Amino acid sequence: MIDVVGFLISWLTLLGIYAILALTLNFESGTSGVTNFGKVFFYGLGAYVGATLTVYLFLLLNGVDVSKTPPYDVSGIVLLGELAGKNPALNLGLLALSLATAFLVAGVIGYLLSYPIIRVGPAFVGFTLLSTGELFRIFLQHYEPVGGSRGLMSIPGPFSWVPQPRLREVLFLALVLAVLAATYLVMDRLTNSPLGRTLRAVRDDEVAALCMGKHVPKLKATVLFIGSGFSGVAGVLLAYYLTSVNPDMFVPAVTFNVWAMIILGGMGNLRGALLGASIFTFIDRALSFVTPQLGVTVISPDYVRGFAVGLVMVLVLLYRPQGLLPEGRVETVAWEELGGGASG
Amino acid sequence: MLPGYPYSILNFFQYTFFYILFSIPLTLSYRNTKVINFAHANFISYGIYTAVFLNGLLGNTSLALACLAAFAVGGSIALVNHLLVFRPLEKRGASMSLIMIASMGLWIMYNYALYMLADIAHYYTLKNFISYGRIVYADVPEVELLGLRLQQSFVAGGLAALVLVASLYLFLEKTTLGKAMRAVADNPVLAEISGIPRNTIVNLTWLIAGGAAAVGGAIWTSFSGTVTPTSADAMILQVFTVSFIGGLVSLLRTGLGAVAIAFIENVGIAALNTYFGVPISFRPFLTFVTLLTILIAFPPLGAAGGLPFRFRSRKVRAE
Repeated sequence: MIDVVGFLISWLTLLGIYAILALTLNFESGTSGVTNFGKVFFYGLGAYVGATLTVYLFLLLNGVDVSKTPPYDVSGIVLLGELAGKNPALNLGLLALSLATAFLVAGVIGYLLSYPIIRVGPAFVGFTLLSTGELFRIFLQHYEPVGGSRGLMSIPGPFSWVPQPRLREVLFLALVLAVLAATYLVMDRLTNSPLGRTLRAVRDDEVAALCMGKHVPKLKATVLFIGSGFSGVAGVLLAYYLTSVNPDMFVPAVTFNVWAMIILGGMGNLRGALLGASIFTFIDRALSFVTPQLGVTVISPDYVRGFAVGLVMVLVLLYRPQGLLPEGRVETVAWEELGGGASG
Repeated sequence: MLPGYPYSILNFFQYTFFYILFSIPLTLSYRNTKVINFAHANFISYGIYTAVFLNGLLGNTSLALACLAAFAVGGSIALVNHLLVFRPLEKRGASMSLIMIASMGLWIMYNYALYMLADIAHYYTLKNFISYGRIVYADVPEVELLGLRLQQSFVAGGLAALVLVASLYLFLEKTTLGKAMRAVADNPVLAEISGIPRNTIVNLTWLIAGGAAAVGGAIWTSFSGTVTPTSADAMILQVFTVSFIGGLVSLLRTGLGAVAIAFIENVGIAALNTYFGVPISFRPFLTFVTLLTILIAFPPLGAAGGLPFRFRSRKVRAE
């Protein structure tokens, strides 16, 4: 018997997390023309900041000496599991703290990282961010306080004090969807604001925007701050959802997935990003439900899926570059007053 | 005496040869076609796997044959990419970023296609192609020089790098077609107006770029302990950094970049390891720091669509 509700919950949770990434990438790359090939870096950074903060503070506040029982150790993991459901206020407090810290850390690092790359072309920007992500992964693999290549496990989720597993999942889903809604609102307001219009100008012609007196580097740095901050938040949600993080979760393939989502959905269109995220995460979930039933196959379904991601990117760019939902016009107040919003 | 001698020095030369073989084609392809090709790593990995499949499926032990086959495979992949993806996009007037994103899509496709090929080959032969050991070739000698044993990959890599550099120099400086190629690199529109067959030049560029990088990949199989379908991806930081040192336009500076990065990665990390105990696995960080330094101190302005000036408030002095 297929667990339809379970499938829906897991799909929507994953969709929520990926949609945040897709929305922010759409803002960075679709609206502002910052070719961010290092999405996974900020995502992973957020996940690790959230996870590390949670496990260490959780143990410390429960009176455990982390220098003797570090959270990445077996004894630490067992202890985390035992203490997880004891104190709801602590769990929720750590959630709020992690979200805020991850937003700030990822955002500030995104802002700083923009310094070497704001003056050079898209190739340099994309490549530098891509390799930052890879180096971050190498660093994590060798850095023992965050568990090295094993990563951190048994991260106490915000709702682990709820006894019923199904209710816990639903509550977490609600949290993810709330964050997604907030992200959508912020991105929607930003794209339709004067800032959003300036960013489109920068995307279409940097030199022209510069000549019109727009401070292009500052704008790009701002974009990276906002986009990276929200990606960090998505990372925290992922860490809580899976209750574990390890370096191999943050490979460049994650970035390509998000790129494929916004290309299929339509660059520069927020609803397109949501649509693209829904399609890809649905296929992802469906495959993970179907794959065990296939048994042993010559070719791993994972490879076929990865191949399809690349193929979709190339085909959409070749035959439908605007994506499923083309970029619409900017909704200004004046436009709405003219009544054009209804027909357009 | 330099730290890590003699291995750090031998590796320095070895990596210089490889970076020349990998990065000069990248610079060449960008300056002639204006396509930022993220799928460049595929040329290398397909070169590697051409040699691996020839060895594992057909029992080939000739590196010369493997290199020839790799050239054909890499060159044709590059041509197919150009004809089916890059040219249609260019014709439609797609922006440089869009073409770059398409090349990233191609990169993913080829990568997973290689995994699938390795899976299929494994199914039929029961050999492990996902992680393939070093290949010993029969037609390349190992050379003793000053008491040091130079591996097969050293001899072959040195020879191939020399051939690539010499033939490119002779081709670009001495032949009419080569001069036409330089003209296309300098100003495609003007070159076309002057009657230079730009399409032919671009096709030829892709053939050379893909082929030469793949030859480097084939030689890599005689050097690396194990090769995997992601071996080439692990090198793109170095390969792109070397090309970025050349500003994606200058072949000479790309060659110098290859020397510099090979030096930093081998002698530099050996020194840091000896004196400060930095683990060897941190060598990519040195390259990354170099990359950031170049971007901050000598940004390749105007190249690849960047802003054509630096942001620095210079006060105009009243004379």
